[in-house]
Amino acid sequence: MSSIVAPRAVARPRFGAGLLLALPLLGLLLFFVHPLLTVLWRSVTDAHGAFTFANYGRLFDDPGLPRAALHSLSIGVATTFTTMAFGLCLAMALHRSRLPGKFLIRGALLLPMLAPSLVLGLGLVCLLGRNGLVHRLTGMPTDIYGFWGLLIANTLYGLPQVVIIVSAALERTPARHYDAAESMGATPWRQFIDVTVPRLRFALLAAAFLVFTETLTDFGSAVVVGGSYRVLAMEIYSEVVGQLDFAMGATLGVVLLAPALLSVWLGRLAKRRQDSGDASPGRALIPARHAVRDAALGTIAALALVPVVAVVGTVAYVSVVKLWPYDRTLTLANYTGGMPDGYGPVATSLGVSLLAAVVGVVMIFALAAGLRRASPRIARPLQVLASLPAAVPGMVLGLGYVLTFNHGALSGWFYGSAAIVAACSLYHYHAQAFLTMQTGMRQVPDALEDAVASFGGDTRHVLRDAVLPFAMPAAISAFFYLFMRSLVTLSGVIFLVTPGLGLASVAVMRLDENGFLAQAAAYAMCVVVAGALALGLMRLLLHVLKDRRHVA
Amino acid sequence: MHLRIDDIGKAWSGHTVLDGVSFHAGESDFVCLLGPSGCGKTTLLRIVAGLTAPDRGRIVLDGRDITALPARERRMGLVFQSYSLFPDMTVAANVSYPMRLRGESPAAIATHTGQWLERVGLGALAARFPDQLSGGQQQRVALARALAANPSMLLLDEPLSALDPAIRAQLRGEIRALQRSLGIPTIMVTHDQDEALAMADTIVCMNQGRVEQIGTPRCLYERPRSRFVADFIGHANLLPTPFVRETLPAFLERRPPGADATFELCLRPEDLVIEADPRGEGVIEDITFLGNLARANIAWRGRRVLAEFPGRSPLVCGEAVSIDAVRGAWVST
Repeated sequence: MSSIVAPRAVARPRFGAGLLLALPLLGLLLFFVHPLLTVLWRSVTDAHGAFTFANYGRLFDDPGLPRAALHSLSIGVATTFTTMAFGLCLAMALHRSRLPGKFLIRGALLLPMLAPSLVLGLGLVCLLGRNGLVHRLTGMPTDIYGFWGLLIANTLYGLPQVVIIVSAALERTPARHYDAAESMGATPWRQFIDVTVPRLRFALLAAAFLVFTETLTDFGSAVVVGGSYRVLAMEIYSEVVGQLDFAMGATLGVVLLAPALLSVWLGRLAKRRQDSGDASPGRALIPARHAVRDAALGTIAALALVPVVAVVGTVAYVSVVKLWPYDRTLTLANYTGGMPDGYGPVATSLGVSLLAAVVGVVMIFALAAGLRRASPRIARPLQVLASLPAAVPGMVLGLGYVLTFNHGALSGWFYGSAAIVAACSLYHYHAQAFLTMQTGMRQVPDALEDAVASFGGDTRHVLRDAVLPFAMPAAISAFFYLFMRSLVTLSGVIFLVTPGLGLASVAVMRLDENGFLAQAAAYAMCVVVAGALALGLMRLLLHVLKDRRHVA
Repeated sequence: MHLRIDDIGKAWSGHTVLDGVSFHAGESDFVCLLGPSGCGKTTLLRIVAGLTAPDRGRIVLDGRDITALPARERRMGLVFQSYSLFPDMTVAANVSYPMRLRGESPAAIATHTGQWLERVGLGALAARFPDQLSGGQQQRVALARALAANPSMLLLDEPLSALDPAIRAQLRGEIRALQRSLGIPTIMVTHDQDEALAMADTIVCMNQGRVEQIGTPRCLYERPRSRFVADFIGHANLLPTPFVRETLPAFLERRPPGADATFELCLRPEDLVIEADPRGEGVIEDITFLGNLARANIAWRGRRVLAEFPGRSPLVCGEAVSIDAVRGAWVST
């Protein structure tokens, strides 16, 4: 047995693995593990560095904190329910209905991915706030701040992610299961209950955990529409920025980290179960005619997506208004000089995002390529480590950066630079980009790698001639994912910006806080448009690549 | 139960898949739809099942036109190529599914499920999940599930193609025996001629959306009507009329009238009688030894024919042989 296996192990060069893994591993340790441990450490030490649990006791001194935790939990649960209900219906509308104009649904679902929760919150305020568009036009008293505003903003933000996860599971359900059920006499409703739902269970669980975590740790909409309905993310912000109580901020961060870790772990568990099913492709599924079903799904899709379009549309409208909400004369002044810092913050955001994406994609490519060759003993823990950032809220990581890098060797040039913001964005979104890259690399045939090696090629040649052609689409996806996420993120970078380093997303927040909604909207639209352009460029590149390489 | 398929036509986006197909299946008949992939046989089965709507034609079951009846009201038991068991239900839950749909009492369901599982020899595996079974076991469960629906017909879509050869042969016999004992009319789609020859009462041989020939396996093998059927079922030596006139003139007597090019003589390898003869016109080019049998390619007046004879025959490669034929069928070209 071993004599058969052994030659293969030799043929596959392993000397390159260590080299490939070294730099990404160093990055993960320095910019992810280290800050995270610092937060943990800070939460269990007092001002003099002595070990204590006193910080956790202090959580209950201030009645505001347990109340904020309760608020966070309520919003998390409520958002999860509404997002799951609407997301499931939208995915069904896309994959199990004969609705015309599905491209409209797909198009509308892109908006929340381009607009961070902060922008959705801003649009909601402009639309339904005390001085919002609806109030101005109809005179109805509207007040969106608080629970309902947060619920709507977070639901809109979570929708596309639920639809993507559920759609993937729907696409994996083979048509023959429906044929079998149909031939045995199952009605469409029974087919939904007996065939569709069981195959969706784990996807629904995974999506629910994702939405719950994101809502729990969301800062963008909390700061804009939360109002007096304080949630944990706002409390961390106040402790750190308002009262400079870093220990308390760290303790709250750990409190936030626990449920996030738990839910990401459960989500991964659910995902693993789901992947174990058979995925053998078969006949493409063509939904049967069913007017009632299509009418119902169409109505629900409209209910979910009209608000998305309305909210983002309102931001676009407000950005071209002279002085929101008092003087609604249309003008481009906000774009041509009305923005207090001009296009500086937008340029900085683009630069930071580009840096995060370029460095990130190189590191992640090396990591994924290295893991292909590493022995399981090394690969396993690294795999977990690379996926762990998914469980860490941006604010916790950002706080970790402050606590770690505001003194010590790197504090001089790194702290307060664009590089630290880029690093924080990169490691905040490391997990998803890494998983994308790894999935792409799974398509590289082992035999091709072995062939290059057997012709005498070294690691360099293997990467260039065997791995890269197959991994290229994944690399492009990972690059743009990092770029677009870095462009819109707020929670991770909120503690890292300095007066000299303005970012577009932070500018939106500051201007909103000070009531300059039109200018905030203008910055928000810059971010949305830049994201849309990046998305278009990504699709173009992937398309060209598919035509040229025949492997995408 | 009597099924009549009447002039069924179907096109997918302009491409004709079925072009006027008709046949019928009588009480307890086992009918095989045989043909190469892409000949439309699976589409035809799906139309019979009600999963695909035909563009034209009728399906009549026991005198009742069911063409417009949705699949779930047709009561046809379906078995697919593979993996059509619900992965999240146990074996017992899969088999009892149709009975649960009909709302039978739990006691009756339990009894019948047990009986069906015993019938396919899987009584001990009731609590397993499909992914814990072998391919052959999964297909047995699929069969039990289809039969548990108490169907008026059984429709099998290449049920054995995904299985290992040994299991395939075994299951072939089991399906046939079960079908006989239940007396349920059955249509099976297959591209495997051996399977069709071994199992069918009637073979409907299809090519490019049309029926080439309908008949018993023996009829199709011994008296193929077209070149396609002769070629597709078994090995065939197809000899043009002028060649036959020179070499085997006796066969011309039974040749249907028509120009030389319209018919060819089909000789099965075992129809050829080969004898060692130094003055013979044939030369053995190669011999494939198969144990009880041997097959030889023989050069014969500028043609090459395949002959079959007992494996013990002393014939060797390069030997000169005389060639005659005992049987043959004229096929249209």
